[in-house]
Amino acid sequence: MKKAFLNRYHSEIPLKEEKSNLFLEVSTAVSVFLFSIVLAAYFMMTSMVSSWNKSIIDGLTVQIMPSSEALTADEELLRLNKVISFFDERDGVEKVRVISNEQIKHIMSPWLGENANIENLPIPKLLDVKLKNGKTFDYQKVSSELKEVASYASIDNHGIWLQKLMKSAAALKMLSLFVLAVVLSALAFSLFYAVQTSLRVHQNIIEILHIMGATDNYVAKQYAKRGLWTGFISSVIGTILGFGVLIMISHLSSGLETGLIGSAKLSLWHWGTIALLPPMTAVLSMILSFLSVKQTLGKMM
Amino acid sequence: MEAHKNMLTEPIIDMYNVCIRYGKDPDVLKDIKLTLQKGSFHFLTGKSGAGKTSLLSMMYLALKPSAGTVMIFGSNIGYASRDAMAALRRRIGVVFQDFRLLEHLSAYDNVAIPLRIRGMGENEIKKRVKELLSWVELDKSMDKICSTLSGGEKQRVAIARAVINRPEILLADEPTGNVDNDIAVKLMKLFIELNKLGTTVVIATHSKELIAEYNYPQIHLENKGLKIIPALRRAQ
Ligand SMILES: Nc1ncnc2c1ncn2[C@@H]1O[C@H](COP(=O)(O)OP(=O)(O)OP(=O)(O)O)[C@@H](O)[C@H]1O
Ligand SMILES: [Mg+2]
Repeated sequence: MKKAFLNRYHSEIPLKEEKSNLFLEVSTAVSVFLFSIVLAAYFMMTSMVSSWNKSIIDGLTVQIMPSSEALTADEELLRLNKVISFFDERDGVEKVRVISNEQIKHIMSPWLGENANIENLPIPKLLDVKLKNGKTFDYQKVSSELKEVASYASIDNHGIWLQKLMKSAAALKMLSLFVLAVVLSALAFSLFYAVQTSLRVHQNIIEILHIMGATDNYVAKQYAKRGLWTGFISSVIGTILGFGVLIMISHLSSGLETGLIGSAKLSLWHWGTIALLPPMTAVLSMILSFLSVKQTLGKMM
Repeated sequence: MEAHKNMLTEPIIDMYNVCIRYGKDPDVLKDIKLTLQKGSFHFLTGKSGAGKTSLLSMMYLALKPSAGTVMIFGSNIGYASRDAMAALRRRIGVVFQDFRLLEHLSAYDNVAIPLRIRGMGENEIKKRVKELLSWVELDKSMDKICSTLSGGEKQRVAIARAVINRPEILLADEPTGNVDNDIAVKLMKLFIELNKLGTTVVIATHSKELIAEYNYPQIHLENKGLKIIPALRRAQ
């Protein structure tokens, strides 16, 4: 009784016993592993860039270095106003504000202590330039123009540096998308090749099925079923390995709680997307198996 | 009414000027003309190598003629799409000379294939396959893997697989070659029963006894040609 029940599920093409299965399983698992890592890198760069972007969009800080000579209060004011009007006249600037000594004191307190008397220190003056919503600067260009107007003022190079970094991050993101596409095509190709080889191996059985009236779809469905399972099992393994590595990386980098790398965190949404890789790979491998059979049978017999 | 009256005058297989050739070898059969009426019963005879299996393969649509036209169920197979060919094949039952069972499957699963291809439910399949396998006296070997069956058992599995679908055309290549006489008689009875229900039957055989005993017309292959030898007595 039980045997007859099991017999029901014997597929006519003995795909389970095939030697190429291991090849397919390993290559799927490795592909999905790589895919999950590169996808995570892509996500990390995206969230890093968007957090950098936020800190740039808010506005920028301009430093006005104290003069080496002693200046009168009027002279001091003239220096300051020159820079303020430089920014005021620019397109996209909402507001320019001098950061008060109180605030500077607060910012510097980690280094100088709460009660430092900064009035007597050669501390630079700081301007906070707020940009209009959605406006940004080409930091490098503005910076060099500022240098001509007032050589003693400089844009906080945090922003310049971030903008440069963002440009390379964008290039890296493109690169990772490209790697994802390569991994995907390699997987698709090995799947197609495995299906093609398997059809040759089982040519005799397939011919018998055809003579008994099986359509190409009937044959393709058996391969699709195998594709679904192999795709799922192997990609679960690949994803688990990927998760392991990612958890290790995020564990190691959690020590580096600094602004830059700290923003390279995977959100829950990102983890969720990576966890969707197995079902997505399974469906993809099912569809690809099906289409490969249809394509090959049309040519072969 | 009309259809019934015409049963024996409705061509089900029709061949004009058909040639069969393998690769660059000389023709096996040349300029064949053959019309088989619906519900007819023929033996297919000829020396070994005369082309019996080749002619049958063309009828079960595994071999395309190298020249000429083949019409089956009124469709020109030269123009049929892959899916249309599959649909035609589902109406034909075949017993291969070398059985061509799926050796890794049980007798049960082999006989079930045509039904599964048709998308029949497993419960109905079970009922039909068990019934037929016990009729060919294989109920005890039902779950045996085919590679472990004897030649005669394999042959009966092959025949069961060919008739399970109640085909409109039954093509059998030496179907009684490996079984003992009792079973051979029983199998012939099965073919005759199917024929009475309307199945067109062609049986390739070398057996003079079979031909003499059952007395059906012969399609005789000789010198790359074909001639019909009528039945000596009226068919029973
Ligand atoms: N696949 C093939 N490739 C090349 N030649 C073939 C092929 N099949 C059959 N032949 C040749 O075609 C000829 C007819 O073979 P076929 O099998 O049709 O004869 P047959 O009448 O069935 O013989 P038998 O009674 O021995 O079964 C033979 O000469 C054979 O060598
Ligand atoms: Mg033969």
